[in-house]
Amino acid sequence: MEKKKQAKSKLSFEQSLNELEDIARKLEDGSIGLEESIAEFEKGVKLAKFCHNKLEEAERKIEIIQKGNDKIVKKKIRVKEENGEIEDDEEIQGSLL
Amino acid sequence: MEDKVFSIIEITRIIKRCLEESRELNNIWLKGELSNVTYHSSGHIYCTLKDKDAVISSVFFKYANKKLNFKLEEGMSIFVYGRINVFEKRGGYQFIITEAILEGIGELQRRIEYLKKKLLNQGLFDDSYKKDIPFLPRRIGIVTSPTGAAFRDILKVGIRRFPNIEIILAPVKVQGEGADSSIARGIEELNNPQWDIDVIIAGRGGGSFEDLMAFNEEIVVRAFFDSRVPIVSAVGHQIDHPLSDDVADYAASTPSAAAEIVIPEKEQLQNSIDILIRRSYHVILMRIKEIKARVEGILERRIFQNPMDIIYNKELLLADIEHRLVLNMKEKIILSRNSLSMILDIKILIRNIIMEKAHRLSIVKSGIESMSPENVMRRGYSLAISESGGIIKSVTDLKRDDILNLFLFEGSANCTVNSTKKGEKFGKKETSEE
Repeated sequence: MEKKKQAKSKLSFEQSLNELEDIARKLEDGSIGLEESIAEFEKGVKLAKFCHNKLEEAERKIEIIQKGNDKIVKKKIRVKEENGEIEDDEEIQGSLL
Repeated sequence: MEDKVFSIIEITRIIKRCLEESRELNNIWLKGELSNVTYHSSGHIYCTLKDKDAVISSVFFKYANKKLNFKLEEGMSIFVYGRINVFEKRGGYQFIITEAILEGIGELQRRIEYLKKKLLNQGLFDDSYKKDIPFLPRRIGIVTSPTGAAFRDILKVGIRRFPNIEIILAPVKVQGEGADSSIARGIEELNNPQWDIDVIIAGRGGGSFEDLMAFNEEIVVRAFFDSRVPIVSAVGHQIDHPLSDDVADYAASTPSAAAEIVIPEKEQLQNSIDILIRRSYHVILMRIKEIKARVEGILERRIFQNPMDIIYNKELLLADIEHRLVLNMKEKIILSRNSLSMILDIKILIRNIIMEKAHRLSIVKSGIESMSPENVMRRGYSLAISESGGIIKSVTDLKRDDILNLFLFEGSANCTVNSTKKGEKFGKKETSEE
């Protein structure tokens, strides 16, 4: 699981966020020169973009595993935006694992 | 043997050893009705346990009854866990209670306690097996009833915190006959790599003690333990504490709380990213402003205000060098001219030398002139010339009857050689020349 995740993107969201934090700190303590600061800042902007993308990456998918004809399949369920209420529970009820 | 007399303490100690070391009387459950319940000021509880045929006095010491979550009352039917102890002073035995459970649910609780001890000994609850809950799971698996409150609560919290969330539900039966194996299958199914799930929430909403019982079953606890995917137990309300809480990687008090733990708040994450970037940007701006001020400070210096000064300065320098160069050249020329005039003087000197030499030459010449053959002959010397015209320098050039011309002062004489004498020197003997 861990390996698979790493293969998908070199850096995890959390690592990126930590690095971004490091960059902000490094810039703030003024220990690096201007050129390096700007380079770090550019890197920070890239990391931020990566993080934002990562957050937007998924599209909302609420799915249910259903047993049918000895096969297990996924089926999307409709959920009401306001209260998370499920709209078609009758079908779901009949498909317990 | 028959004569052996025991003291009371001796026999009491033997009895004590027999009773307290017996396996049958240690770590056992008793079921009975409570009577004579006394809450002593020391914190210990004294009581009698009885059923219709017998009684046993019991003590529930302070250290053990601290965990008790109900008050012991007269007539209560309870299960107690503990061991037999002999009190020598009073010559009696009593039951030391270490745990007490009310009957009814007591039967179930006793089973749970038993299972808990067993699994604890097997290490299923060890912290070393606990996995970290991933910080930003891409896809969340849920094991619960599709129609239960738990699923609805998780969805509600999940969609609010992270609107584009991905959830896969394994629909299971959470109470009643077969709920335990259904839940275990659901957990196992979501561990299937095909679902590619980062974290599982397994649980159900609140209910009676019996309703939650499936999450105390061994098959469910083991399914939690065997889950490769990090798993969160989310059962009932805050007060409920099923065994699945002990074995899960994280125990959430309710399904909603589980969703809050597992699903990060997107808006908050975005904010923290933006804040970090804003902080960095601010720092960079400040830095640039600072540097700008420094540059301006430098530019205000005279040299940048009057940059032509650099050229003027150079020109002045050049002019100075030029001037010095011309001066030097002039000096050189004068010096050279002086040297040249010195050379003219040398000419005169040489001429003088030449004249002197010429003078000396004339003197030498007159000396040399006095050495001419005529002057020599005048002094008496003569010169013998052979017939062939060569000057005869030695007697060896001559032999008898040779003819030679002898030149003398004011003339010459033709002579014939009569004889020669070698080695005879002039002045010592006469020559035979004539």
